[in-house]
Amino acid sequence: MADLETQVVVVGGGATGTAVLRDLALRGIDAVLVERADLGTGTSGRWHGLLHSGGRYVVKDPVSATECIEENRVLRRIAPHCVEDTGGLFVLLPDNDQAFGDAFVEACARTGVPCEELRPAQARRREPLLTPRLTRAFAVPDGTMDGWKLIGGFVADARARGARVLVRHPVVGMERDGDRILAVRARDAATGEDRLIGCQWVLNAAGAWAGRVAALAGGELRMAPGKGAMVVMVGRWVRGVVNDCRMPGDGDIIVPVHQVAILGTTDKETDDPDDNSVDPAEVDFMLDSAAELVPAIAGGRVLRAFSGSRPLYKAGDDDAGSRDLTRAFFVLDHGGRGGPGNLLSIVGGKLTTCRQMAERTVDALVARMGLTAPCTTATTPLPGADQGVHRLAEPLATVERQAGYGELVCECELVSRRRIEAAVDQGATDLDDLRRQLRLGFGPCQAAFCGWRAAAIVDERRPGATEPLANLERFLAERWRGQRATTWGDGAVQALLNQAIYRGTFDLAPAGGGRGTA
Amino acid sequence: MRADVVVVGAGPAGLATAVALAEAGREVRVIARGNGFTHWAPGAVDVLARAGGRPVDHPSDGLPLLPARHPYRLVGEPLLRRALDRFQLLTAAAGLTYEGSLDANRRQVTALGTLRPTCLLPAPAARPLDGRVAVVGLDGFRDFAPELCARGLRAAGHDASARSVAPPPWGHARHFHAVDVARAVDDPGWRARLADRLGPATRGAGVAVVPAVLGLAGGHQAWADLERRVGVPLVEAALAPPSVPGMRLYQVWLARLRQLGGRLQLGFPVTGVEVADGRVTTVVSEGASRPVATRCAEVVLATGGVAGRGIRAGRDGTLVEEVAGLHVEGFGDRMGFFAEGFLDDHPLGAAGVAVDDQLRPLDAGGAPAPGGLRAVGGLLAAHDPTAEGSREGVALATAARVAELLAPDPSPTKG
Repeated sequence: MADLETQVVVVGGGATGTAVLRDLALRGIDAVLVERADLGTGTSGRWHGLLHSGGRYVVKDPVSATECIEENRVLRRIAPHCVEDTGGLFVLLPDNDQAFGDAFVEACARTGVPCEELRPAQARRREPLLTPRLTRAFAVPDGTMDGWKLIGGFVADARARGARVLVRHPVVGMERDGDRILAVRARDAATGEDRLIGCQWVLNAAGAWAGRVAALAGGELRMAPGKGAMVVMVGRWVRGVVNDCRMPGDGDIIVPVHQVAILGTTDKETDDPDDNSVDPAEVDFMLDSAAELVPAIAGGRVLRAFSGSRPLYKAGDDDAGSRDLTRAFFVLDHGGRGGPGNLLSIVGGKLTTCRQMAERTVDALVARMGLTAPCTTATTPLPGADQGVHRLAEPLATVERQAGYGELVCECELVSRRRIEAAVDQGATDLDDLRRQLRLGFGPCQAAFCGWRAAAIVDERRPGATEPLANLERFLAERWRGQRATTWGDGAVQALLNQAIYRGTFDLAPAGGGRGTA
Repeated sequence: MRADVVVVGAGPAGLATAVALAEAGREVRVIARGNGFTHWAPGAVDVLARAGGRPVDHPSDGLPLLPARHPYRLVGEPLLRRALDRFQLLTAAAGLTYEGSLDANRRQVTALGTLRPTCLLPAPAARPLDGRVAVVGLDGFRDFAPELCARGLRAAGHDASARSVAPPPWGHARHFHAVDVARAVDDPGWRARLADRLGPATRGAGVAVVPAVLGLAGGHQAWADLERRVGVPLVEAALAPPSVPGMRLYQVWLARLRQLGGRLQLGFPVTGVEVADGRVTTVVSEGASRPVATRCAEVVLATGGVAGRGIRAGRDGTLVEEVAGLHVEGFGDRMGFFAEGFLDDHPLGAAGVAVDDQLRPLDAGGAPAPGGLRAVGGLLAAHDPTAEGSREGVALATAARVAELLAPDPSPTKG
C-alpha cells in the first residue's frame, strides 16, 4: 500500500529534474519529485553560471552549439529574471592557433550563433582589463544564469500546477513486479521513515548519480562523471563573459556572476560523483590560465574553489537504438536494455539546455504513455519573469528604495532580514539552504558577520527547529571546505580574522573540543 | 622626521609598548597602517585559555606546558605578572577597571551566550551571573540577538530569559551600529531615558546581560551610571567587531601616550627600514604624497602576525615579514597553512618571527640581525593568539620586556 500515488516519479532535484517536473505539470501529468538533499545541491549548484551562447561548441560540437543558442533565447524569454545579460567575448591570444579565429567565425555562421568581430582596441574598451596581447576578439550573446533561481522558478511553477516535491528524501529502493516498477521507496532524512510512492513511470534525472538510481531499479547505466573544478575570485574583474578562443579545454573561461568572477574549469574522470575536492594545482592552473586573458587577475584575491560532477555518459554500441536525441544528451529507455519497462533515464547535457532536455524526455514519455500533450515550456514564462532581466545593481537599488540598510544581515550580498524571514517561513532552516536561496554568506567575508545573525533569526522565527550554534558551526565548516586550497595573501588574513571572531570572541570550539562552562 | 624610538603598529602590543617606553622616559612615535586588535577583540585581557590542546583554568599553571620558544617562556612569568599589574594600575587611573589575576581565568559572556575564558575582565563584563538573568537587547540592533544569548546561558545552567527594548528616540532610525549606541549612551540625557526602559525590562532579575555598547568616551563611567539608575547589575556581552570595550582601551592607551609626549601616526603603513653598519637607522612609511623617512635609534615591530598583516602568506607557501624582510619559517606549500576544520588550530596562526630572549629577531641561522630592532606581540613565532587565547597577555608581557630592555635603569615613572 503506497503512501502517495502519482503518475510519474521524477528522481533528482537539479536543473533537469525540476525542468522535467514543470514540463509534466504544464502537460497536466501528475508527478512527484524526490531529491536526496536540497534542490540544486548536486551539479546544478556547482557550475560556473554561464548561459551559453553556443560559441564554446561551434567548432567541436555544432549540434550542441545550435541547441545552446536556441535555449539561450528561450531562457531569456521565459526566465529573464534568472539571467544577467552580460554578453561575452571570445579572445584569440597570440599563442593560440590563429587559424581557429576564421574557423570560429565560419562555425558560428553555420550553427546560427551570432558573432561580431571587434577590433582589439574595441574589445579592450569593452573589457578594459583584457590582455593587450590579444590578436582578435569576437562578441557573442553569452550571459550568466542564476541556476538556483531558475530551479526555484521551475519548482514554484510546477507546484502551482499541482506537482509535489519531496526534498531530503533519498531514493532507497524500487518495488518491482516483473518488469514494472510499482513504487519508489524514498526515505525521509529527517525522520528516517520510508515513504512509498506508487507510480506508473519513473524518470531518472539524477545526473551524475543516475547510474546508482538505475541500479536500485535493476537497470544498468554506466555513468562516467567528469569532475570540473572552478575558482571564485573576489570581485567581477570583467564586464561580460571572457572565453579563450580555442578548442574547449581546461581553464578557458571567466564568468562574472553576481559579485564575483568564476574561473573555469578542469575536467578529471572520477568514480565518485560526491567527490567535491579541489586540488591546489588545479587552482593554480586556472588562475594562471585566467591571467593569460586578464593579467591583473593574478594579483586578485581568490575566495574559494569548488567542483562539480558533469553527468557524462559514454554511449556504447548497444545504445544506438536508444539514442533518441542529440549528441549532447540521451534519453535511455531501460525497457529495451533488460531493465524495468517503465523507467527512463536522462543523462548528459548542460544547464543551458535543461529545458530542452526536459521537453525531449517528456515527449518520449508521453508517446510511451499513449498521450498527446504538447510541450509549452518554451513559451510559458516562469513566475517572476515580469521582473525583466537581472541587473547587477538591482539588489542595492532595492535596499535603497526601502531604506533598508539597518535590515541587512549579510552586507556583502545585501541579504535583508525580511528576506531571510520569508525563506524561513517557507521551510528553509539550514543556513546552507539560505545560502543557496539568498546568497547569504557568499561574499568576501565568507559569513564572518552574517552567519551568526542568520542563525539567530532562524531560531527566533522557528523556535526549536534547529540548534542555532550547531547550525552555525555546520555552515562555517561548509564555507571553509572550499577555502583551504585557495587561501593565501588577503584571503589568509580574512580567514584568521574570521577565526578570531568565531573561536576567539565567540568561543566556538573545534569539532570534538569541549565548550567551556561557568 | 626624527624620533628616539619608532613603534610600528597600533594594536595592543604596539600601544602597550609605546606607553611603557614613554613611561620609561623615551620619546616614542607610533606609525601604523590602521587600528589593530583593540577594535577586533572583545576588550578583555586574554593571557592563556588553552595550552597543550586543553583548556587552562589557571594561566600560571599552563605556562610550563608551552614550548620553549613561546613568548611567555622568553620573558618569564614574573615579568608577565608585573605587566598585568601595571596594566591594571594604568587603566584604573584612566577610569577602566580590569578585574582578575594570572592565577585564575574568568568567563566573559558573549552575544552567542557562550562563556569565553579570559584572564582580566573589564568591570562591565565582570558581574557574576547570580539569580535570574534578564538578557536585554535593543530593537533593530543587528549585532545582539537576546534570545540566542539567553539560550546559550540556559544551556550553561543559568535561569536566563530574553527581552528587547526600543532605543529612546534618536537620529538613527533603524540603521545603527554598536559604536552609534555607545556614543548615544555617553549622552547623560539619552542614558537616563535608556535607563527608564531598561528598568521595567530587568525588574526582578538578579543581573542583566546587555550588549557591550554602554558608553565609549568616559571609560566605565557611563556603565556605572546606568547600572545605578537601573538598579540591577549590568553585564556587557562581547560582540563581533568593532569592539566598544576594546575601543575604550585604545583610547586610554592613546591618551596616556600623548600625555607623555608620544605621537601616533595612523593610516601610514610602514614599508621598510634602512640599515647602516648592521643597525637600523630609519623607518620608511607611506606619506600623503611620497614616502616619509623617520630617523630613529630603536625600532619595535608590533605589526602582528598574518592576521595583523605583519606577515604576508604567499601562494607558494612562503611567508614574508612585511617591514624589514625578517626571516619567517615558511611552509612547503600553502596546504600547510590551515587545518581541515575552520575552528581547528591553524599552523598559520602560530607563524611568526623567531626572537631571542631580548626579543631581537633571529635570522635563518639563529643569529640576531640587525641591531636596534625588536619584535613584540602577534608578530612573534611559537604562539597562536586565537587558538591559545593569549593575545593581550603576550602583547603586555613582551611590551614590558622591551621597556625593560630599552630603559635598563628603571627611573621613576613620569606623568
